[in-house]
Amino acid sequence: MPPSKTRQQSPSSAMAVFSLIIINKAGGLVYQREFQPGLRKLSTNDYLVLAGTFHGVHAITRSITPKLPLAPAAALATTPTTATTPSPNNVVSPSATSSTPTSSTASYSYPNPGVPATGLECLETDKFRLTCFQTLTGTKFLLFTDPLMANIEVVMKKIYELYADFVMKNPFYQLEMPVRCEAFDRNLQGWLRGRT
Amino acid sequence: MVPPSHPSTHPSPAIPIDVANLVSPILAECIYNRRWLPRPTSMTGSKSSRPTSETSTPGLPATLGQTARATDDDAKLIFGTVFSLRNMVRKLGGEDDNFVTYRTSQYKLHYYETPTNIKFVMLTDLKSPNMRVALQQIYINLYVEYVVKNPLSPAEHPGGIGVNNELFEESLEQFVTRVLS
Repeated sequence: MPPSKTRQQSPSSAMAVFSLIIINKAGGLVYQREFQPGLRKLSTNDYLVLAGTFHGVHAITRSITPKLPLAPAAALATTPTTATTPSPNNVVSPSATSSTPTSSTASYSYPNPGVPATGLECLETDKFRLTCFQTLTGTKFLLFTDPLMANIEVVMKKIYELYADFVMKNPFYQLEMPVRCEAFDRNLQGWLRGRT
Repeated sequence: MVPPSHPSTHPSPAIPIDVANLVSPILAECIYNRRWLPRPTSMTGSKSSRPTSETSTPGLPATLGQTARATDDDAKLIFGTVFSLRNMVRKLGGEDDNFVTYRTSQYKLHYYETPTNIKFVMLTDLKSPNMRVALQQIYINLYVEYVVKNPLSPAEHPGGIGVNNELFEESLEQFVTRVLS
């Protein structure tokens, strides 16, 4: 029985986008909209608190990125050179001293080197999945979807596109202020409905 | 679950787990904290500093790259993060919703909370699968067996007393190195 039940649910819930929240770079809530029921409704004040809390947590999640110390062998290799270089060859010492700060600052590496450390990108719970996309200017888009939904990047990209087109290009929109653009609402709703 | 190609291609094994935290329910205090380093060479190096519970480490060796102070602060930050996220999730998803995991571009954090509000947190790299079952097993098979059932262990664990017993540490070591990676 359970398999048939899940199969019944999946077509409708697989595309479920519950709600969208936009947070400005200062952590203020500028947009909140529910598309499908599934999450509990909060008061406006609670949404403001949620936006601020998430903004803080997002910054903390980046700062607690585990730092992996570099191999002890490499650390040992750098320390003797810095200890020996000043005395034997005085000519090379300026370059040696200039290289030491870089070795001391780079005494650790991130688990996923080559990729800049970001804050929380995706949070999963039993009932929903929260995907966070931060633009280059610091605006955060939080998308609450069904945990089984695929291709969230596509939805996120489209939402960002619509935001750029209908909010940022709106001459009456004041930066960092709540978004009240009918055209944005309409297009967002229309596009998400057309997708399901 | 983890494809065996990962450890060979990459210098680090698939699951370089960094911190397994237990947070006591009442004081919101980190009662156990342990790091595993990705490379097997440094794994033996970290063995000298095995009792990594907060109190028993006056100063972690420099090879760990982190002072005890920084580890302590990290534990507090992780607690704050997990606490806020859990509350946020409960507010949105209802009281029976559970925060399971989050990921950033660098790491994944796995979360499991027991009915008595002891929080198990594990930080892993991005390649690792869902660790909720693993955390649950750590609680059931290791924490309950060796810490809770230990008659000498106190009911509360101020500063990690009672959690850092040898049986728990050893079996945790075995569990993480054999079962998970």
